[in-house]
Amino acid sequence: MSWNPFHRSPREPEFDREIGFHIDQLTQAGITQGLSPQEARRRAVLEFGGREQIKQQVREVHTSRFLETLGFNCRAAMRFVRRSPSFSAAVILTLALGIGANSAVFSAIDAVVLRPLPFPGGDQLVQLNQHDTRNRDANRFIAPVRLEDWNRMNSTFSGISGYYTDDLSETSGALPEKVSEALVAPRFLYVLQIAPLVGRDFTAEEEHFGGPDAVLISYGFWQRRFHGDPAAIGKKLRIGSFSCSIIGVMPASFAFPNRDIELWAPSAPDAPYAQRRDSTWFTVIGRMKPGVNLAQAQADLATVQARLGRQFPKPDADLQVQSTPLKEIIVADVRDSLWLLYGSVSLLLLIACSNIAALLLARTADREHEISIRFSLGASRRAIVGQLLTEVSFLALLGSLLGLIIAAAAARGFHLLANTLPRATEISLNWTIVLYSLLCAVLTTLLCGLFPAIRGTRRDLAHSLAQGSRTQASRRSPMQWFLVAVQVTLAVTLLTGAGLLLRSLQQLGRVSPCFDPSHVLTFQISGSWGETADMGALTRRIDRTLDALRATPGVEAATTAGWLPGIPGMYQMEFKLDGSLDPNRKILADNRWVSSGYLDTMSIPLLQGEGCKEGSTTPDLLVNRRFVNLYLGGSPALGHHLDAAAYNDFTPAGLIRGVVGDAREEGLNAAPVPMVYSCFSAPNPFPNYLVRTHGDPSAMADTIRHRIHQLEPGRSVYAIMPLQDHLDAASSGNRLRTILLALFAATAVALACIGLYGTLNYLGRMRQREVGVRLALGAARSHIVAQFLLEGLRVTIIGCLAGIALSLVTGRLVANMLYGVSPLDPTTYLGVVILILFVATVASLLPAWRAARVEPVQVLRQE
Amino acid sequence: MAPTEKTDLLQGTLDMLILKIVALGPVHGYGISQRIRQISKEVLNVQQGSLYPALHRLEKRGWLSAEWGDSENGREAKFYKLSAKGRRQLAQEEASWNRLSQAVELILGAAQQEA
Repeated sequence: MSWNPFHRSPREPEFDREIGFHIDQLTQAGITQGLSPQEARRRAVLEFGGREQIKQQVREVHTSRFLETLGFNCRAAMRFVRRSPSFSAAVILTLALGIGANSAVFSAIDAVVLRPLPFPGGDQLVQLNQHDTRNRDANRFIAPVRLEDWNRMNSTFSGISGYYTDDLSETSGALPEKVSEALVAPRFLYVLQIAPLVGRDFTAEEEHFGGPDAVLISYGFWQRRFHGDPAAIGKKLRIGSFSCSIIGVMPASFAFPNRDIELWAPSAPDAPYAQRRDSTWFTVIGRMKPGVNLAQAQADLATVQARLGRQFPKPDADLQVQSTPLKEIIVADVRDSLWLLYGSVSLLLLIACSNIAALLLARTADREHEISIRFSLGASRRAIVGQLLTEVSFLALLGSLLGLIIAAAAARGFHLLANTLPRATEISLNWTIVLYSLLCAVLTTLLCGLFPAIRGTRRDLAHSLAQGSRTQASRRSPMQWFLVAVQVTLAVTLLTGAGLLLRSLQQLGRVSPCFDPSHVLTFQISGSWGETADMGALTRRIDRTLDALRATPGVEAATTAGWLPGIPGMYQMEFKLDGSLDPNRKILADNRWVSSGYLDTMSIPLLQGEGCKEGSTTPDLLVNRRFVNLYLGGSPALGHHLDAAAYNDFTPAGLIRGVVGDAREEGLNAAPVPMVYSCFSAPNPFPNYLVRTHGDPSAMADTIRHRIHQLEPGRSVYAIMPLQDHLDAASSGNRLRTILLALFAATAVALACIGLYGTLNYLGRMRQREVGVRLALGAARSHIVAQFLLEGLRVTIIGCLAGIALSLVTGRLVANMLYGVSPLDPTTYLGVVILILFVATVASLLPAWRAARVEPVQVLRQE
Repeated sequence: MAPTEKTDLLQGTLDMLILKIVALGPVHGYGISQRIRQISKEVLNVQQGSLYPALHRLEKRGWLSAEWGDSENGREAKFYKLSAKGRRQLAQEEASWNRLSQAVELILGAAQQEA
């Protein structure tokens, strides 16, 4: 029971001695005045006064008031929890969910959006793209020579490097294994400021053409193939047709350019095949010098590129450099979604808080008697508010601890999303998150507790002691109604957001892609960029594979494609029509490489002419209807000559041989754009193979694997899955976002209903006497039910109106996530209002009915 | 209790009086109560119930330091001494007390002239 540290303090006997001395001195003085020792002693003790009281006062000097009050309040809070376990459990659980969900989403935002990239000085890293001013193509790749020029001529970067990725077969193991390799420009690790975990970085000789072959391996590859044996350094790997020595192992956390990369090897800028200024393959990254900002770097590179433009007018004069923070490139896609989720869970937490505040308000009113007794016993208002707040903070603290468990579980859940969510593996429960959820607990305490505590302890309440149970609680109900209205407002806002996303998903489901993704299996076969040295051989190899696939039983049609249909390729370029370029009428179209059989495999209708022909020696092109309508204005399309305006290795040029239907190649949520298909089966050494099957496409996977293995024993088949899965994965982020928001909205509506129900119920109890009297005077019960119901509905309608007003503002935030739905979609708004009114009526019915079921005689007798 | 007319101490004055008495030299609790009575010519009589909590409070604040030592009659007693911090505090309190009492006197004097 003892909280007082003074009891065990060494001060106690010391103070006894101090008092003893004082009393002795007083006694001595009495004796000097002529009193008998006994009498002197008696008077001394009398004069000294209440010894225990003084001791207690001295104790108080030495104990910390704060700690003592806190201890008292904590004990009171625990008593409170014990006394009303179901109420406390409800509050703790609500807060656990609220704070847990909030902390979980915050942990994702913290790891993905807020924290710098996991490289030292990660904020100084930028990606550099080139942009053709005459051409809106998204070719962001850069020629090795230009990369070296930029690196040499700039003054704002401590280093510029780059990479491209290649899928290869590694054949030193028992079976060929497909590995992803990043081929990196010089200075790659220097720019990223990452050192190998074991071994060393590339040497200058290794980065030169003809230098020793060297490769760095990933931590995962090291563990899988060498069981983490340090002796792996120096061993040889057979990659494609090359043999390379392992010189080092990268740290487990290093996943750049992506998590699939297992090998890093140098790509020499001085190689003879890398000298053309228009063969572009590097994605370029640079590290700005400390203190240099993006604008300065951008300006510097613009000057550098202008000089290059004078020196090499042919390609360089038309190029501009764009620099974008590397983090921006990585997280831009998910940032909006994450903030949207964070906004929703925060609204949810606010609803939970106002819900709990309403509950506490009712509770404090119930404890009016207890509070007024404490007032009359001399407790200060501050002390009582402090006690009430401690009770709430106790609940909030328990809630946030439970919430942390939820957040920890969610962090694991996020790791599963690694394919949709960049940096997902960096999400973890750390001290930031623990602190954040404690902060949430403090804020919720203040939000839910402060108001009821201050209201519940107003001085005039002390008078209620005299009034006994006759207090009219209804005068406090405006506050309760306000809280309910807030909950409805926020719930309506969340529901509208979720509704808009759901409608958008529904619209998307109705869209016909104009190609048939069902019964199509997709896969890739390993190849190497090295094969592009002999394009003829590469094309023959791929055509041979296609022929073998078409001859396989169960296969209806087979084709290759540079990009999968329905997955954005964003390769827009400008074309010359019949050799001329009209500056007033740019011909801009997306370009996709497809082989013969594409139209059959994808079920895209051929409107005019013919499809891609196998073995055609002339470069043929197909265009879609939109291209014809937009650029050829009804004139016969076939036979026109198209030529890409920009210079590139893979510039499409040829005669239009056919016109096809408008397929949604760039994604189901993107309207068909003008499209030029180039008939070319080998746009790269590992194109996508698409196979239309008779039956279930997944069932064909093994058959196809075996067939390819017979044909090309040294190559591996990978990424084998139905096209539908690719399309689903492309929209999985969208779907996940919608499902989560809908879940939050449902929770919000449920909480608001609980709030409404609880408030009406409480009001019904408080007004029992009034209802009893009215019933005794002959009022109809139906009247009373209607009155309570209307009161609930009035607040709901006010909340709805406020919620709609708020949604009109917040709707803009989701505007760019919507497809085919306006952010002001009347159907959604109407649906939300009807739903809320319906649910609110149901939630109000029971308490209203209960309020009217009062027995007048009983109530009047209670008085 | 007090034989003469009882004069209540103003809030906060007790601390200043204690500091002043202690400033004259190390002294124990009993000594402080005696001196206040003697110097104030029996007008002020500090109750032990106020004195000891005040002493401990001042000690805790670091204005006084305490040490056990032998008293005049050879008994062991707790002696209080003024710390440097306490000396500064005393100077401050004296100054503000002087300002206050002068102001009060001025008002009382003016009031008498008016009457």
